[in-house]
Parts: sequence; structure tokens; C-alpha cells
Amino acid sequence: MDYSHKVTMIRLRRHASRVRMALSGQQELGRSAGFWFAFAVVVVGCFAAPMFLSRWQLLNFSNFLINGFLALSLCLIWGFCGILSLGQGAFMGLAGYAYGVAGINLMEQNGNTDLALVIGLITPVLLAAVLGSIMFYARVQGVYVAILTLLVTLLFETFLNQTAGEGWFVGKAHLGGNNGLGRFAADIREPPSLALGFGDSVMEFGGRSYAFFYMTMSLLLVTYLGLRWLVNSRFGSVLVAIREDADRTQAFGHDVRLIQLLVFCLSALIAGLSGILYVSWGNFITPDVFGVYNNILPVIWVAFGGRKSLTASLGGTMFLVWLSQALAIQSDYAFIVLGVILIAVMMLLPEGAISEIADLIDRWSRRSARVVE
Amino acid sequence: MMATASPDSLLEVRGLSKAFGGVRATNDINLSLRSGELRCIIGPNGAGKSTLFKLLMGMIMPDSGTVVFEGKDVTRAQPHRRARMGIGIKLQNMGAYPNLTVRHNMLVPLHHERAGQDPDLQIRQLLQPLRLDGKSDRLVSSLAHGERQWLAIGMALAMRPRLLLLDEPTAGMDPEETHATCELIRSLNAEGMTVLVTEHDMAFVRQLQSRITVMHFGAVLAEGSLVDIEQHAEVRRIYLGHGTPRRLLQPRGARDLRSSAENG
Repeated sequence: MDYSHKVTMIRLRRHASRVRMALSGQQELGRSAGFWFAFAVVVVGCFAAPMFLSRWQLLNFSNFLINGFLALSLCLIWGFCGILSLGQGAFMGLAGYAYGVAGINLMEQNGNTDLALVIGLITPVLLAAVLGSIMFYARVQGVYVAILTLLVTLLFETFLNQTAGEGWFVGKAHLGGNNGLGRFAADIREPPSLALGFGDSVMEFGGRSYAFFYMTMSLLLVTYLGLRWLVNSRFGSVLVAIREDADRTQAFGHDVRLIQLLVFCLSALIAGLSGILYVSWGNFITPDVFGVYNNILPVIWVAFGGRKSLTASLGGTMFLVWLSQALAIQSDYAFIVLGVILIAVMMLLPEGAISEIADLIDRWSRRSARVVE
Repeated sequence: MMATASPDSLLEVRGLSKAFGGVRATNDINLSLRSGELRCIIGPNGAGKSTLFKLLMGMIMPDSGTVVFEGKDVTRAQPHRRARMGIGIKLQNMGAYPNLTVRHNMLVPLHHERAGQDPDLQIRQLLQPLRLDGKSDRLVSSLAHGERQWLAIGMALAMRPRLLLLDEPTAGMDPEETHATCELIRSLNAEGMTVLVTEHDMAFVRQLQSRITVMHFGAVLAEGSLVDIEQHAEVRRIYLGHGTPRRLLQPRGARDLRSSAENG
């Protein structure tokens, strides 16, 4: 009896350590028990946020989290696969528009946005599949990928900006030119918030609701842990090898182009999720999402935190989004302060602020461990 | 498909040519390797040895000619396909990944192994004869030069290739390491692996005791045993100018060979 109890405990502990091993691995910051403790505190704190944040603060925090998906999507493709995409905004925007248009047309009829969600997720992946096939199989590399992806997103921006006319209806949805999708006139429908479920049991996730916040938080947590698992798997070690040297990796039997394409599609899916959540959050989307600003911003966030780590990218993004907003409230010239901080970090901590600080702590703790020995 | 191929032929290269701009890096190369053969390619820098290896691996595509591996035409096949078919390579300037750990490096070629096998056990088994046991968690950039070369060979071996291509495996090694590398290659060959190796170091070539192919200006100049090569008039003229055959036997670097070729 006592014996079997012990065996169960040992088994449980072994399972727990296996899960931790799978998530920790070589490729990510934070392998220690201390990290996971701090991580748990942060997660619990975030889930408890509705208890101590005002409605407006919570709405704002939800928006921070939506940016987090965009950062993770860029971190995956740039930090782990070595492909700098300046078109993550295109995937975000395309998903947002596709979900919005489908939602406007299907919401009344279906009573939910299940199909709109699926359409919203598939559309950016299709774009990534087409664009990625062309780029990777034609051996487009480095800065040309950045230029090409930026070009594509700007094409979308230009196209959507000229859809203000009466002719630009997709079913019941008016594309609305630079106003985008949203209730800008009484007779125009706005894209619905996510409403998931079947028949009568439909759960709505309005941007202001707690439900939306909890859903976004949970999705971000799952995405982060899922990507952590992916980059620490054997597939992840191949990804990093491709980042380090694609030709060499191909000589070890890996179809580099196919792997790059798959990761590009996954990255588009995550950026797309960000776009759908954004539309669900604010019930509008404009062509600005495809613009230069929205495509460069994630690059700054991810570079600031540390592009080679999901944790650093996500943490850096949250910090920068918060900081830029906090500074903007203080003064009109806050952007100068922000600029100085960004330039200082890029020059002094080229691997990213959080990555370099984590590295420093790691070295320091190892040295003190050696002293103790 | 190759009428001339003998039944135990592993690799048949016919008329392989590649030009970069106006420079013919390889010119009408013919090469045939039996299964289980050990072959050494020698030639001065710029003779086209590395280009030939890249052509054999599919990292660059030839302008003309064919590569047949195990009876299959792989001339247009991508590198990863050839790797999976059983060609392993260690290129001269493309060894291990410097910014990754030894273990991580080994995981990259081991990726295709069946699930359920413990990768760490396999890594230990592969690293042990390469004197890298216990260095699994070291960054490659912190390893000695010789160790890095051995790791690169270990990574090629992790693919369990039937044809192993080694481009200057002893570059930068001291004589003791060079000797050990030679013994490693000989033992791999003794176990049945077909090995094609390029080399500058004539002491190594002597120790290897393999059949030799001499390349010069992108073409095959001569082929035969070490004795045949040493007595080959054209080889002596190009390599040694008016020198004696003994100079060929000296463990000299590439620069000596090239400068004597240019002078001669």
C-alpha cells in the first residue's frame, strides 16, 4: 500500500520533471526552478488582474496581450529561423479583415463566429504558403525577404485604402477605405466580437468583457508554452541550426526550404490570431494595420527584449508597449526619451536587454556556485 | 542507366563541369568509386576539389555531366535528398556550428533517427572514438581546432552514410592529430564505409595508403597508387617543377604546392 503510493509519487515527479525538461531545454531562457516559480507568480498575477485593474486598464492590458502574439510570431520566424519578416502586420491585418468580413456576413445567420474564426485563421496561412513557396523555393534570402514581405504588406495597405467607394462591398461588409471595417456610419455593420459555440450555447467575448481578457490571456499562455516546447524539441534544434547555417543543415538531410515554409506559415497563424483578437477587441480594423509602423514596431519590440528568446521577446514587448504609453501620457516629447532608450539598448545590449541581463545573471550565479564549491 | 558502371560501383561521375563566370572550376571530371573503396584526391588550391565535393552533394548544380549514386541518377537531386540516400559530407569551411553546443550539433544529423532511441546514448557512442566524450555541453567555439574537425566528422558519421566525403579533414591539425584522423578514416573504411577524402598533407596521403586521384585546374590529371602518382611525369612537372619526388612526400601545406605549380 505504502509502496504503491511511493511508486505513484515517483512516477508523478518523473512526469513533472519530463514536462519541465521538454519546456526548458537549450533554446530558451529560464531553465531553473526559480524561473518557473517567478513565471507562475506572473501568470497567477495576470489572471488575477481583473480584481485590481479598472475596466479601462483591463481593456488596455488586453491590447498589450494582443501585441504579445505578434511579438511571438516574429520571434519564431526571425529569432529561431533567421528570417526577418517585415510583413507580420500583413498576416495580422489579413486575418483581421477576413475574420471581420466573414463575421459581418455570417454572424446573424449562424449566431456564432466559429466559421469566421476558421476563415480568419486560414487566410493568413494561405498567404504565407504562397509567399513562402515563392521566396524559399526561389532561394530569396536575407534582406530580400524583408523587402519582399514589406512590399506585400504595403500593397495590401494601398489596395484597402482605396476601397471607400460604394462598389467595395463583400456581401454585407463594406471595406470602407481608410476607415476600414467598423461602424463609421449608421447603415454600416461593424465586425462582431468572437462568439464561439453551437446553437444556443454560444459564449461571447466582447472586447470589454472579462471573458475576452481571460481567453486572450489563456491563448497567449498556451501559445508561449507551445512555442517553448517546439523550439526545445529536436525540431527546434534543427530550426536553430538553419538559423546558424542553412546550407550546412541541408547537408544533414533536412529539407530547409520546407521547414522554413512550415515555420513561416505557423508564424502567420500566430500573427493572424493577433489580428482576429484585435478585431474582436475593438470591433474595427483599418488599413493602418498593414502600414510601415505596425510592421516595424514588432521588430523593435523583439530586438529590444532579445530575438533569440520567446521569453525575452514577450517580456520586451510588454515592457515597451507599456513604457511608450506611459511616456506618451506624460509629455508630447516622450518619444524622444523612448528613442534614446531604444538606441542605447541596441548599441549596448545587441542581443536584447532581457537576453543579455539573463545571461549576466546566469554567469554570475554559476560563478558564485563555483566559489561555494 | 550507366552502361559502363561495374556492378559494385557506388559512385559514378561522368563529364562533370561547372564554370563560375569564365572560370572552369571543374572541367569534364570522370570519377568512379567502388563500394568499400578508400580514395584520396590531391591537388593544389583552386584545383576544384571543394567544387567537386559541392557538386557531389548537390550544393551547387553542374553545367553538364552526371552523378550516379548506387545506380540512381542524382545529378539534379537536392542536398537533403542525397544526405538521406547515404552521402555524408564534411566540407572544408563548413564543419560544426560554432555558436551551438556539441550535443546540439550532434542532434542536427541525428534528427532522422527513429523515435524511441535515446539521442544522448547515441551521441555518447558517436563521440567516444572522437575524443569528445564528456564535452557534450561545451560550446563548439570553445573547442580546440582539432576537436572541431573531429566533431564535424562525427556529425557526418551520425547520418550513417554509405559514402563519406571529407574535404581536408586534417586542415590545421598537429601531426599527432593528423595521424589519429588518418587511423580513424582507415578504420571506418575497414568497417566497409566508402570514403572519398581530399588532402594536402602528403604524410597523411602516404599513411592512408589509398588509391589517389590528382586534380589540376578543375580536371583529373592522373589516377593510381602512390607509386604510380609519384612516377607520373605530368604530376611531377606540375607539382614539383624540376624538383625531386621526395618533395611530394613532405608534409607541406597548400601554398607550397600551389606556388611550385605556378612556378613550374
